[in-house]
This record gives sequence, structure tokens and C-alpha cells, in this order.
Amino acid sequence: MTTSTTSSVIPTLPGRFYTDPEIFALEQRNIFETMWFCAVRSSDLPKPGAFKTVQVGTESMLISRARDGSVRAFFNVCRHRGATLCTEESGEVKRAFQCAYHAWTYDLDGKLIAAPNLTKMADLDRVRYGLVKAHVREWLGYVWVCLADEPPPFERDVQGAVAERLGALDLIDNYDVAGLSVGRRIVYDVKANWKLIVENFMECYHCATIHPELTEVLPEFADGFAAQYFVGHGAEFGERIEGFTVDGSAGLSRIPGVTEDQDRRYYAITIKPQVFINLVPDHVILHRMFPLAVDRTVVECDWLYLPDVVAAGKDLDKSVELFHRVNEQDFDACERCQPAMSSRTYREGGVLVPSEHHIGAFHEWVQDRIG
Amino acid sequence: MIPVCPLASLPRGEALRLDVVDPPIAVFHTDEGDILAIDDTCTHQDASLADGWLEGCEIECPLHASRFNLRTGEVDAPPAKRPVRVHQVVVENDVIHVVPSDAPPNLPPGVTLKGQA
Ligand code: FES
Ligand code: FES
Ligand SMILES: [Fe+2]
Repeated sequence: MTTSTTSSVIPTLPGRFYTDPEIFALEQRNIFETMWFCAVRSSDLPKPGAFKTVQVGTESMLISRARDGSVRAFFNVCRHRGATLCTEESGEVKRAFQCAYHAWTYDLDGKLIAAPNLTKMADLDRVRYGLVKAHVREWLGYVWVCLADEPPPFERDVQGAVAERLGALDLIDNYDVAGLSVGRRIVYDVKANWKLIVENFMECYHCATIHPELTEVLPEFADGFAAQYFVGHGAEFGERIEGFTVDGSAGLSRIPGVTEDQDRRYYAITIKPQVFINLVPDHVILHRMFPLAVDRTVVECDWLYLPDVVAAGKDLDKSVELFHRVNEQDFDACERCQPAMSSRTYREGGVLVPSEHHIGAFHEWVQDRIG
Repeated sequence: MIPVCPLASLPRGEALRLDVVDPPIAVFHTDEGDILAIDDTCTHQDASLADGWLEGCEIECPLHASRFNLRTGEVDAPPAKRPVRVHQVVVENDVIHVVPSDAPPNLPPGVTLKGQA
């Protein structure tokens, strides 16, 4: 396709970017294994010894809480002969991780503390042959890991994305995301390339067509311009809408820090490469994507509410149902695109209309990262 | 009687492996304040009990979780089946000493005393 500066459409990525395992391998290496990756909710590691295993790029990572209460991220690989250390998705060890093959045993700091005949190998350094660590940050109540030797600045890549979207970083502090409780978690296994999901989240050209409930609550979405299009803009609730719920009925208790400006508004943030955050007055919805294959992405979505709302067992169904439907509508759309990415008619890709042009910057960014 | 270390350098909850003797001896300072010594080598496989998990007056082997009683040397459950020896502990002038047992040790397969094949 040819474009000129006067064209109202600009090209998308070519189809192979969504189907070629080699491109996906480059993305795993240069994006997911290099950048900050939002891995687990901190509250999913309630005490020392609690762990989760997650896929980050090509690596299985073991994320756990140490004795001192801090969180550690280890490559889930035994240093002896490479057995996967923990095969469960989550669990709790009492005091150590032990390999099921020859019983090499690592403490919660990753140090090798016991192994058959270990005392006969006095030269074997227990730290050097301890589990290999990755960098860890906790922010918004989530554990972010970075597998790079030298992680990029968290302030620039992660917090910077939030500041850029909202206009200022402290505007997200009003929602006290770390202090909220998980009211509901839904895991979606999406048969689509991760970029289709990012692109979908970035635009609202589709909103009036596939999101009837959302467009009812946020009428301005019918104009096709995403909440992400203008810096600092939050989409306003419709006049007769009482809350961010599937039928516009009242929501749950408002988060106390939310300002008048932020009340009755919906803000959406993309933190590249795999996090979406939605802010509404009474809850926060946070998506973590786990790209597992060129055509498969698992999305874990948390609905976060004030702790007393969750503790009181308040009925969250209408609140959760709105964005759960949005998710299903969006992921259906992504799955509808995936098979066509290998069509010969999509070899050169498709086009982005003006309200989608900002996705072009995402495409440039991806191409840049993978070289 | 073999000097081990000053009392102050083995806090409660800690263990120490004494390898100037063969087989090595593990010395424990329990949370209750007792100082007790047993063979360091588990009788199941070559693991150091000083690296294990101290709970009350029992030490859990770090490899396969058999527990040895620090006062009697008895083991609670397999995979280890034979007891370890216990050694007498003497604290003199704030220094911990052990008097090694002269009973034959129950070493795991493949572990032999130095100088023996
Ligand atoms: S591979 Fe883990 S102990 Fe041998
Ligand atoms: S080595 Fe001690 S129980 Fe197996
Ligand atoms: Fe959507």
C-alpha cells in the first residue's frame, strides 16, 4: 500500500507480524524479557514461602515472598541440571524450594542451602549456585519483574506511561490501587496475538459497534475517539448513569481519594507492553497479559475495590459484568482477526483510520524494539 | 573434650558444623536455650543436619525431612531409619565444648571415615 501525507488512512503492521513465530521470538527477547513486566498481585503472595510461577517471554519465573516479607523473582530453573523447580502455578513452601530431581534445596532468598554430598563440595559457592534472580519492583499492589541484566528505568517506562496518559503521576495515587482488594479475577485465554489485544485496547472506533453496554454508560465513546486519545481526558458517564455497572445502576463505595474532577469519569491507561488499567470512581480494573505464543495470549483481569467493600461481601456482579462483557466483546474481536492475519490479502496489512492513528506509534515502537 | 566456639557466637536457633572431627558433629542452640550435639551427617544420605530446620529439640533433615531428636538421636520417620549419635556438651568459661561419643557412627551409604576406604 502507498500512503501520502494527505491520506486519511495509514498502514498497520503487515500480517506476518501477527503470525510469524520468529517475530514473536524477537518480541519475547527484546520486549517481554527486557522490559518491566507486571507479574502478580502482591496480595497473591500473602506470606513468606507463598509463590507463583508465571511465564515472562520464554522464561518461567518463580515469584515468592521471602522471610523478611519482601518479594523475590527467580528463574524457575534448578542450578544443578536444569529441572523446573516449581511446576505448580501457585503454592506455598514452608521454608525452602527443593528440586524434585536430586533434592538441591534453596532458601527463600534463593541461596543453595542443602544438597546431597554438599559438604564434600566445599568449593561450591552456595550463593553463586543459588537461584538466578531477576529485578523486582512493587507498585500499585503488583509485583513487576525485569529479566534484563540492567533494567530500564521503572520511573520512565512504567510510571512515565501513567503520567503521560493522566497528565500527572500523582493522579493515580488518588485511587490507592495498592490498598484495594481483589474483588474478582477472571482469566481469559485469548487465541490471538498480543498486539491485536493492545491495538484493540488503544482505540474506540469499535466501541459503538461491539460495546453496547459500555457506550450506554460512556456515551462519548460513540464518537470513536478512545479515552486514550487525549492526554488527561476521562470519558464522562452519561447523564442518567449512576455508576460504572452493566445497567448503569449505582456502583460501590467511591474510593475516598478520587477527586471531583475524577468522579463520574473513566480513565484508561496502557503500560507497554502488557498492562491495561481502567480507573473509575469506585474501582480499578487491571489487565495483565501473558503472551504465550504468536497466536495465544492469556489475560488476567482483576477488579479491585475498597477492602471493606470486598470484606463485606457486597454484590459485585453488576459492577464486574460491565467490563467482563467488554473483555469478551474485545477478545472475540481479536480472535476474529487472528485467522485472517495469514490471509494473502492481509500480507501488506490493513489501515488505521484517523481515530486510530495513534496506534501507528505503537507499531513503530514494536518495530523499533525488534530491530 | 573439643572446644567448639564461644557461647556468644552460637545464638539461639542457630547451628554449627564442627568438621575438625570425623565424622563431623552438629551443635545446636535451641530456642529453649539448650545446647545439644549430634552427628552432622544424616543416616539416610550425605546431608548436613546443621543445614536442617531446628524446631524445639528436633532437627529436620534439609533433604528428605526425617527428624532427629537432639537428646536421644532417634529418628521419627523414614526415609532415615537409624539414629545419629549424641555427643556430650560442656560449657566451660563461656566456651562450648563437645565430648565425642565413642560409639560407632551410623553413616549413610557411601560415606566413610577419613583414612578408611
Ligand atoms: S536437577 Fe535439580 S537437583 Fe538435580
Ligand atoms: S538425607 Fe536426610 S532424610 Fe534423606
Ligand atoms: Fe473494546
